Amino acid sequence: MADDLTPAAAAAKAALADVTPEPGSKKLDPILIANGVRRTFGGITAVDVDHTEVQRGSITALIGPNGAGKTTFFNLLTGFDKPDAGTWSFEGRSMEGLAAHKAARLGMIRTFQLTKSLTKMSVIENMKLGATGQVGEQWWKGLFPFMWKQQEAEIEQRADELLARFKLDHMRDEYAGTLSGGQRKLLEMSRALMARPKMVMLDEPMAGVNPALKQSLNQHIKGLRDEGMTVLFVEHDMDMVHDISDWVVVMAEGCIIAEGTPDQISNNPAVIDAYLGSHQGKSLLEDL
Amino acid sequence: MNWSNIFEATLSAFFGVNAMYYAIAAIGLNVQFGYTGLLNFGQAGFMACGAYGLGMTAHYFQISFWWGIAIGIGYAVVLGLIMGVPTLRLRADYLAIVTIAVAEVIRLIVRSVRFKVYVGGSDGINEFSASYRRLSPYVESGRYPLSPFKAEGAVPYVMLAAMLAIGLVLGAATWNKLGKRFPSVPQRAGVGLTGVVWMLVLIAASLRVEYTGYSLWTVTVGWTLVAIFSVFVWLLMRSPWGRVLKAIREDEDAVRSLGKNVYSYKMQALILGGVIATFAGMMFSVERGSVQPDNYSRDLTFYVLTALVLGGAAKISGSIVGPMLFWGILAFADVFLNELVKSNGGSVEVFGIQLIGNISQVGQIQLMLVGLLLILLMVFRPQGLFGNRKEMALDGR
Amino acid sequence: MTLRTRHVVAAVLLFCALAGSLWSPARAADTTIKIQVKDQVQVDGKSKKIPVAGVSVSVVDASGAEMGAGVTDDKGIFVVALPGPGDYTITLDESTLPTGTALTAQTPAVRQVKADDFITANLTINYFTGEANRTTKSFIDKLAQRTTDGARLGLIIAMCSVGLSLIFGTTGLTNFAHGEMVTFGGLVAFLFNVSWGVPLWIAAPVVIVLGGLFGLVLDAGIFGPLRRRGIGLVSQLVVSVGLSILLKNFFLYRFGGRVRPLKDYSLQTSWKIGPVDITPRDFTTAVLSLVVLVAVALAIQRSRLGKATRAVSDNPDLASSTGIDSQQIIRIVWFIGGALAALGGIFRGLDEGVGPDMGADLLFLMFAGITLGGLGSAFGALIGGFIVGLFVEVCTLFGVPTELKKVPALVVLVLVLLVRPQGILGRRERVG
Repeated sequence: MADDLTPAAAAAKAALADVTPEPGSKKLDPILIANGVRRTFGGITAVDVDHTEVQRGSITALIGPNGAGKTTFFNLLTGFDKPDAGTWSFEGRSMEGLAAHKAARLGMIRTFQLTKSLTKMSVIENMKLGATGQVGEQWWKGLFPFMWKQQEAEIEQRADELLARFKLDHMRDEYAGTLSGGQRKLLEMSRALMARPKMVMLDEPMAGVNPALKQSLNQHIKGLRDEGMTVLFVEHDMDMVHDISDWVVVMAEGCIIAEGTPDQISNNPAVIDAYLGSHQGKSLLEDL
Repeated sequence: MNWSNIFEATLSAFFGVNAMYYAIAAIGLNVQFGYTGLLNFGQAGFMACGAYGLGMTAHYFQISFWWGIAIGIGYAVVLGLIMGVPTLRLRADYLAIVTIAVAEVIRLIVRSVRFKVYVGGSDGINEFSASYRRLSPYVESGRYPLSPFKAEGAVPYVMLAAMLAIGLVLGAATWNKLGKRFPSVPQRAGVGLTGVVWMLVLIAASLRVEYTGYSLWTVTVGWTLVAIFSVFVWLLMRSPWGRVLKAIREDEDAVRSLGKNVYSYKMQALILGGVIATFAGMMFSVERGSVQPDNYSRDLTFYVLTALVLGGAAKISGSIVGPMLFWGILAFADVFLNELVKSNGGSVEVFGIQLIGNISQVGQIQLMLVGLLLILLMVFRPQGLFGNRKEMALDGR
Repeated sequence: MTLRTRHVVAAVLLFCALAGSLWSPARAADTTIKIQVKDQVQVDGKSKKIPVAGVSVSVVDASGAEMGAGVTDDKGIFVVALPGPGDYTITLDESTLPTGTALTAQTPAVRQVKADDFITANLTINYFTGEANRTTKSFIDKLAQRTTDGARLGLIIAMCSVGLSLIFGTTGLTNFAHGEMVTFGGLVAFLFNVSWGVPLWIAAPVVIVLGGLFGLVLDAGIFGPLRRRGIGLVSQLVVSVGLSILLKNFFLYRFGGRVRPLKDYSLQTSWKIGPVDITPRDFTTAVLSLVVLVAVALAIQRSRLGKATRAVSDNPDLASSTGIDSQQIIRIVWFIGGALAALGGIFRGLDEGVGPDMGADLLFLMFAGITLGGLGSAFGALIGGFIVGLFVEVCTLFGVPTELKKVPALVVLVLVLLVRPQGILGRRERVG
């Protein structure tokens, strides 16, 4: 297997090789650092993360039983929800209290568990929306096509390239609503790439995707790492976690209970305990 | 029953002053409601901004009439901020609640005794359109037939060209629907053909319509504004800016996750739409030479909304044709019911039940029809007469 | 029948039922009394007369039946339509005159007119005011009076808004036709009490039930089918706007535009409780409102139905999975909401007279109330509605003109949305 590793994958593996497999462990070159992030919903603590770091250029999986607070943690990090307490920084810049669109502009682009492809717009329009810094997105400039036509053409070209890479080019002019569930996941991911992110946050990229497409989705996610992006993803599909992630963070009841490489995690008793408490325990044990 | 009377009234309502200023207000509302999904129920407030902007320049500031336009726009921007700042971060219906309340409060304030010195109380402000009337190239008391065949000089050709242009716009809208049934006819030919048919209809409709010089001036200025704003909105909506708005209408979070400041875009749409509506208020007040607070009640907003939904939200053609049809239907109902009452000797009975006892009930029946129309449209044809059901997405959230 | 035809049929049936129930031939009013209130002031040595708005006046006939009551408009005028010339008594409520003014000796508050005084069909009665030389009420006394009036208004708003908030909580619909549900109560009460002469205490329970049925019909005929067809909330909201236009103009069409008083309990001398003047009628309605609202609050807190309603509001899917029939709950909510709105309409009608706009005029205050209390929460509606009513009345003591007393409610609404959009009792997750 080792021979197949791309340079980026090998680098990520090497960087994480000496990290202690324990919750809140220090990474060599963290892109994202979170401290004491807490969020409660009417008395129930949904997220209570003491400390965690995400290694730059790695693929990190965030797993845990249902209700562990993974998606809420995602929402907090990306500015879609406000925490009761806590700080976190992205590339050394504090993200506390930052609105979602500003987090995205810093290069942290997320996708959603239930895909948010804009079903009543065409696939190519969806893609073009993703591009940042568009001149024509200011209304007084939008009025004069000559001010944005050239940029629009460049964006369209890049969108077409991405669509071809994600094998959506044949659907280019269809309404996004006509895509299958898996194609929507692909569209959302490629739309996120239009924004040229530094870090991609994928919320359950495999949910509702048929097995045939899963393999190619896996390859696409690995491709992101090869292009220098950092990937953090929430997933239930343990095959996939094991297959593509360099590092795994396990959450249960809002807290991080374990961290480590996929192999270390599959032998971690705390993780097995957490999962045995829920009905997913058995399947996790079988998977790992 | 005088049917030719009924049809004449209906046809002249199509291009009348009411349809004109409703069209301007509907174009504005379309930017907010149609394209962005903002439930602005305070359009009457924005219209009042324009009307009082003009009125107050004459009555209170006593400066040139032209300043009134700038002041009206200024009011609209401030009003948009007042409505938008507290609500645009929240769920859609908060905007509806606040806009309807703000518009109502504006009406209460301008009609109050307390502020009478500034804005004239419930009498409003009167007789301030002298400068506007002086600009008119027409003889104020003259009679101007709409028919191109009764005019002289170059006018008929200009009118025919204008009718062709309007016909082609309508043709494009109709062919959008019809074209699917005749796939063998090329797009251009289809649009051209339906456009010519529409032009002929327009010419036929114009044959008996006649304007006084004064209303012709208003109609000219007003429909020119409609054309300008239509092109303005059309340009905007095919730009990347328009793309962001349409995306917001569908899913705010998706847009936010791509780094767009949704709040700011919504605010821009609210204010731009409001500024356009301001011109509707200006046209309405300048045509009458007076502004009355009670004309800007919440009912006005709802009627503009109905007119827009009738034509089809999120369509330029919808925001123009909708108000025309709306006033056509209202004028038809009005004259028809009045004729009915007249020919029945003052009251209408069906199976011994008195339907109309006095003439003032005609207006109420008319407005009941408006309410019914809005309900039926939203339920059975939310895309309006010209909209595309697939693209019609009122349900952002 | 398909869903669509059933929907249309239901709407038509609703319409016919309404048409039937409100069928009272509109009669032309020829004879009128025009009451004018003017303030005499000295400006540059010349006497000027300025109209006084917001003064309560009423007209009763020889038998004591009220012909009309209301407040003067901003021209200082209030017109009462009468069946014909006759003996009438006109009364001006001096407590509603602007602070610091009093009636002149030439124009006492109570005036008698005889049939012979009607030279033409329209008789004008003038009241003139000047600077008061009698002692005015102390601020504390006025505060007590305004607080009492505000509490009464607040109770009515609270009662009307419970349904609005519950319907929102359980279905997500912001019902812009809720004001018309209040009007419905007022007008049907008028139909019973004035047109048919049924005593109000007998008619009121019937009206309340009819109000509940009206809510049920709106749900079964319009909003229920829309929900089942998966029509979005924004579209439903616009449908409710259409319904509001339709109903309001229907009321206008059948009832006419004038505000008319209910027949019972209209002529009462005020009790003096400390500094507060309150009629036995107003006192009774306030106590009844309080009782009803406490009962509603207890029911929501304690009863199975109340718990189920809160469960559906919190999370419809979860509620369904625990065996609660959420559709049934929604129907009950519409019934209760309609019934409470109708009762609010009766009380409001006793207070200010009934007219086709009476509910729509309250709608904005109701929205302010439920936003303050927390959209979707019934307790929130109770508390928020009460506070808003109290606030708008008390504000008039602090320089807000009576005609602008809704403005502070808007200020409250905007401030709540800026500072705490979820309101007093709402949850943060709901607003975004």
